[in-house]
Amino acid sequence: MSKHDLIIRVAGEGGEGIISTGDLITQACARAGLEVYTFKTFPAEIKGGYAMYQTRVSPEPLYNQGDTFDVLCAFNGQAYDLNRSLLHPGTAFVYDGPGGDFEPDVPPGVHAYAIPMTQTAKEMGNIKAKNMVALGALSQLFDIPEQALREILSAKFGKKGSTVVEGNLNAFTRGRELAAALTKSDPWKMEKPLHDNNSVVLSGNDAVGLGAIIAGLDFFAAYPITPATEIARYVARHLPKRGGTLIQAEDEIASLGQVLGASFAGKKAMTATSGPGLALMGEMLGMSFMSETPCVVVDVQRGGPSTGLPTKHEQSDLFMAIHGSHGDCGRIVLSVEGVGDCIGLTVEAFNLAEKYQCPVLLLSDGSLAFSTQTIPYPEPADYPIVARKTWDGKGEYQRYVITEDNISPMAAPGTPGGMHIATGLEHDQAGEPNYTSANHEAMQAKRFDKLKAVVDDFAPAEVDGEGEADLGIIAWGSTIGVVREAVARLRAEGHSVKGFYPKLLWPMPVEQYEAFAATCAKIMLPEVNFLGQLAHFVRAETTLRPVSYTICGGLPFTPAMIVGKAKEMLK
Amino acid sequence: MSCAQTHLHKVELQSKDYKTDTKPFWCPGCGDHGVLTSIYRALAELGVDPNYLVNISGIGCSSRLPYFVRSFKMHTLHGRAGPVATGVQLARPDLAILVNGGDGDGFSIGGGHMPHLARKNINMTYVLMDNRVYGLTKGQVSPTSQRQMKAYTTPYGGVEEPLDPVLYMLTYGASFVAQTLATNVKLTAQLIKDGMEHKGFSFISVLSHCPTFNNIDDAKFFKETADELQDQHDVTDIDAAMHAVNMTHRRGRIPVGLLYRSERPTLDERMAELVKQVGGSPDYDLHKIIDLARP
Repeated sequence: MSKHDLIIRVAGEGGEGIISTGDLITQACARAGLEVYTFKTFPAEIKGGYAMYQTRVSPEPLYNQGDTFDVLCAFNGQAYDLNRSLLHPGTAFVYDGPGGDFEPDVPPGVHAYAIPMTQTAKEMGNIKAKNMVALGALSQLFDIPEQALREILSAKFGKKGSTVVEGNLNAFTRGRELAAALTKSDPWKMEKPLHDNNSVVLSGNDAVGLGAIIAGLDFFAAYPITPATEIARYVARHLPKRGGTLIQAEDEIASLGQVLGASFAGKKAMTATSGPGLALMGEMLGMSFMSETPCVVVDVQRGGPSTGLPTKHEQSDLFMAIHGSHGDCGRIVLSVEGVGDCIGLTVEAFNLAEKYQCPVLLLSDGSLAFSTQTIPYPEPADYPIVARKTWDGKGEYQRYVITEDNISPMAAPGTPGGMHIATGLEHDQAGEPNYTSANHEAMQAKRFDKLKAVVDDFAPAEVDGEGEADLGIIAWGSTIGVVREAVARLRAEGHSVKGFYPKLLWPMPVEQYEAFAATCAKIMLPEVNFLGQLAHFVRAETTLRPVSYTICGGLPFTPAMIVGKAKEMLK
Repeated sequence: MSCAQTHLHKVELQSKDYKTDTKPFWCPGCGDHGVLTSIYRALAELGVDPNYLVNISGIGCSSRLPYFVRSFKMHTLHGRAGPVATGVQLARPDLAILVNGGDGDGFSIGGGHMPHLARKNINMTYVLMDNRVYGLTKGQVSPTSQRQMKAYTTPYGGVEEPLDPVLYMLTYGASFVAQTLATNVKLTAQLIKDGMEHKGFSFISVLSHCPTFNNIDDAKFFKETADELQDQHDVTDIDAAMHAVNMTHRRGRIPVGLLYRSERPTLDERMAELVKQVGGSPDYDLHKIIDLARP
């Protein structure tokens, strides 16, 4: 496969403008009509520590962050030390020098460009403009659209007054001049866009917020937690425009409690959290299932267990998402592949919650939370919206009446004759407490049987490829995007490989797994956790015996890793 | 009085009309029967429309109360009635919200929620039914039990000091705080009625004796130990309220009556204000939000 993309990694000390430099590159490329997929890591601490922002740019659609970078821009010695092993012949390397805090021993074949970022910023009387000097140099060296950058810079600093805008633009220009004086020896530059630009750029977290608002979110409650808090930030900014309500709760138990209250009151309600918060919500999820009160819970997974790796990527909450709560407790679990899904599947999560009157968990993850991606403009009218079944006011109301589809009509407060109790106690069809064996068995059957329809109600898992294959790869969450590219590369090399990308993780579409497996000689299941959590459910629920391929180093897979493992299995 | 949601949907009903077909499951002689009677009376006097009343509870003997009150209702988790009620109230400010719960439910497992109901001034009425013991689990000390109480898990007597719910709620900024005895139906009904008419978070602590598991704090003890607040007590003065509680305690007595009442915006009012400020409405064009994400 010929390479059309370019990957630029900017790295340095947190607080030096690493993230804003990366954001500016990303925005400028997207504005110019290029596809972007970004990847960031930052410390769990507010000041200091290593920060990194990687932007992958291409005229063609992108599904993951790529294998490694083509261009490294190091703001300090630590950034250089941490990335030195990734420099290989052909890589371009831009660094702060002379006048920086380190002198690199550049490996052979690496194209090094010394730009005196710190020194220039000091000379210009504004040390904070260091990243603007770097940005100018990168723009000159790798054809990052200059005009778009200037526009975005002016808009970004516009609020701070013309002096600040001018200062930053001057530093940017100086960076370009410094780079222009050097001789370019590497081959890297941005390709030209293929099409007109009707796209938006969103992070996974912002996209979840947008999806919720498109779905008709009325009420949002949450407690701050990394890496999910940006969802609340987005919703706090935009939900009031639609007349909705956001409350910051005192803890995650309270936030899901508030969500259930709002939902009982007839509103569409959700919360967003990460693993530790979801653990606290366990009992309340049971209340949602038992009292058949719809709710949407987004879990942006991070490294665990316990406090774990708060800012790092992991896909390790699947066990808890599927079974976390006491007793036999049902729910629907979805997981998102990328930013587009963060909108579409959030809408779907609301539709399923309202329709099936149960908890719906939507799993995102740490790498997707902050990854910004270009996606086609999301037209709200393109997302179908489902409303809950409500009581028609005829006859005597029974909140938990057993119907053909086991879904009982709801009646919000204020509905004449609709008085009832939503209760966590086992109850009869009228809602009255009832602990008899016959009743408990009948009501558990009702609550679980209604969920049997979910598998057919949800779009079938995507099968990537046709016919028979030597190897099938099953992936979930943001690992899907990595596997897509790996499958394409393997095919381009003549291997027979297929992919299977489920987004409804529970209830499990068992027949779809079986049908896929029937066409593959071997099955690989890569996921970013220690125990192989989806592989566990696949073994438990289907006849498949996948080879579990797990990593849990706080980072996502790269396509190259999947390709490597696939070749091993294909030998 | 410009007040809570109770004025929005008025009906003419009698106390008995608020009864459901479910008979109270409490022991004979339990103070909770008196609280229930007081609630029926307060609702009838206010003319609350049961269709617009949401009665919410946690877990415990007293948390069964909503089953006996004609209303929409939620029987939630141990300690979580407050947050669930908050969600109902913020989602539907047109509803009247009545919460019931015990001392363990509200001040042990749910204690972390109480300050936030108070400081956020959630427009609801919280009726604490304080029997100073865990009843449903057959008699363990609670956070309001007297230290000397010998109980299920304290065979040699307790070792912890109790907390005082009214002082707690005054401290955290509840805008209406009162205390009464379950045996005094007249005063209890009046205070619940006042609480429901109050705009904001109203907290009414009802000392509700447990005849089965608490032989220290029985009906007689509460009656003999209660001191009604004096007529000159200024209910608008938070310092006076705290002073009254502390002074009464110092005499080994329990203050009874309306301790404190003040008016300030409720959280739902502030949120409505915020929506107004940004020109919010359900018809707001979504494209305007999405366009902000164009590069």
